Amino acid sequence: MSGGPSRTTRRFGRLSHFALFGLPSLALYACFVLVPIGIAAYYSLTNRNPFNPPTKWVGLRNYRTLADDPDFWKVLTNTIIITVAVTIAANAIGLAIAVLLDRRGWLYNALRGVFFTPVVLSGVVVSVIWQSILTDDGLLNTTLHKLGVDHPPGWLSDPDLALYTLCWILTWQMIGFCVVVYLAGLQGVPHELHEAATVDGAGPFERFRHITWPLLAPALTINTVMMLISTFKTYDQVQVITNGGPGDRTTSTIAFDVIQTGLVGNRSGYSSAVAVVMLVFVAAVSTVVLRLLQRREVNA
Amino acid sequence: MSKQTSGWLRPMVATFVTAVFFLPLYLVLVNVFKPGSEIVDSPVGLPIPPTLDSVKQVFTRSDHLFWYGLINSVEVTAVSITVLTVLSAMCGYFLARSQGLGARIMLVVMLAGLMIPPAVIIAPITEVLRSFGLMSTVMGLVLVNVGYYVPFGVFVFAGFVKTIPVELEQAAAIDGAGRMRTFWQVVFPLLRPASASVLIFLGVWIWNDFLNPLIILGPAEGTTVTVGIYRAMGEHQQDYGQVFALMFLATLPVLVFYLAFQKHFVKGLTAGASKG
Repeated sequence: MSGGPSRTTRRFGRLSHFALFGLPSLALYACFVLVPIGIAAYYSLTNRNPFNPPTKWVGLRNYRTLADDPDFWKVLTNTIIITVAVTIAANAIGLAIAVLLDRRGWLYNALRGVFFTPVVLSGVVVSVIWQSILTDDGLLNTTLHKLGVDHPPGWLSDPDLALYTLCWILTWQMIGFCVVVYLAGLQGVPHELHEAATVDGAGPFERFRHITWPLLAPALTINTVMMLISTFKTYDQVQVITNGGPGDRTTSTIAFDVIQTGLVGNRSGYSSAVAVVMLVFVAAVSTVVLRLLQRREVNA
Repeated sequence: MSKQTSGWLRPMVATFVTAVFFLPLYLVLVNVFKPGSEIVDSPVGLPIPPTLDSVKQVFTRSDHLFWYGLINSVEVTAVSITVLTVLSAMCGYFLARSQGLGARIMLVVMLAGLMIPPAVIIAPITEVLRSFGLMSTVMGLVLVNVGYYVPFGVFVFAGFVKTIPVELEQAAAIDGAGRMRTFWQVVFPLLRPASASVLIFLGVWIWNDFLNPLIILGPAEGTTVTVGIYRAMGEHQQDYGQVFALMFLATLPVLVFYLAFQKHFVKGLTAGASKG
């Protein structure tokens, strides 16, 4: 985007302009984002439970409780595993596919379309598709049975495996996003640089390493930040596919936990504290990652 | 590797990888048009002859799950994205052209909203809606959507407005047009590519949304198609024919919408990727 408005801009000086243009959006944003954040922050300092009044001010007790709560650390660990695994996997696979599809022609256009389809599907639809494949009597294990595997893995029923199955499902849905962004980045790599490097005797891997990869820095920034932010919120897939299990919170994410303790378990005070921690976490991580990656772009 | 092998190797590998990736979607597509017994016997086979039994079952359910969901989804999505485009275009324009400190603070506060996970605020949102008497209403869900997604719209429009020369607005001002008239007759028509991005992205997101309609709209007549799939899933654990048909029908509008505007969608997505 080009620089700010020029000196000759006719200014929006008057309050009536704000009231007309800015206020309606700001009012709705305040009502349904800012005020709810305020409410959550306030509840996090109380023992609120809608079915067990009265609500009392308890200070930081909820935060101390959650720090000592192994369940909280479990869901936080799950969330971090999912976020990191999916961000890395979707970027790596997405980049490989983008490099593979970086050619002109109808075939490649059609193949790109296929990869992008899951991006426009809802999390619920993707969940149901994969659930039908991966449950114990689902398509995959029925096929493995026919091939002579007596005890195929319980992709979603094995507590040690379910979290990684979930990671794969999320990755599958996100790959297309990374593919499209990397393809756009690849199209910005000048041919001349590759030709010059070839003349100098550089092989395909050296050219990728020293020309393509540094020039993909902005695409990497976008994909990483998008993957981090969107995966950190994972809720739909957990609710639909595993309901947090199998066993005790083996696939629960922090977003799922906030809903479970708050809206289902009615521990509003405690769940608000978890929500506040989640909010601070996502803000801190995305700010730091964005800074780091952008610095890398400048240096590249 | 010789030149000749690499000539056919790439399309072969690309097609194979894509086919593997496509398998789960293929599975839904073929099973929508098969009778229930055949889904169990040969889930991967082609539907020969194809049947519309599952689709008919979804259409004629006694609880009207699909039709109620469809009406609600269309209503919520259409109204939300219309209001969002208008409000965020005006707000984005205002914030891009103002130079005051207040406007700059407002932009930062709004952009921070882009990162807020819905699960963090959904419980307090239900209380805000209850206090307005809007809980379990389509109107309530629309307002929540507008409040939550307006930062995205403002972000897109504010960026786009900066690429439009101010001289056009100054000319309109000299001709005596006020702010409102300048915006609607001069600026808004020029924002069409940004409007397309906002409409498409938000249309897809809002149509696909699960958490907000699940909690705000409540059961039965209040459901959307996305939540409807989840509800149908609970009842028919084993009857994938109907669930797949419902998924297919619920996704069709989004796919048509996406295919029709695909260019804008990808352009919107990659606008920042190549320029940085």
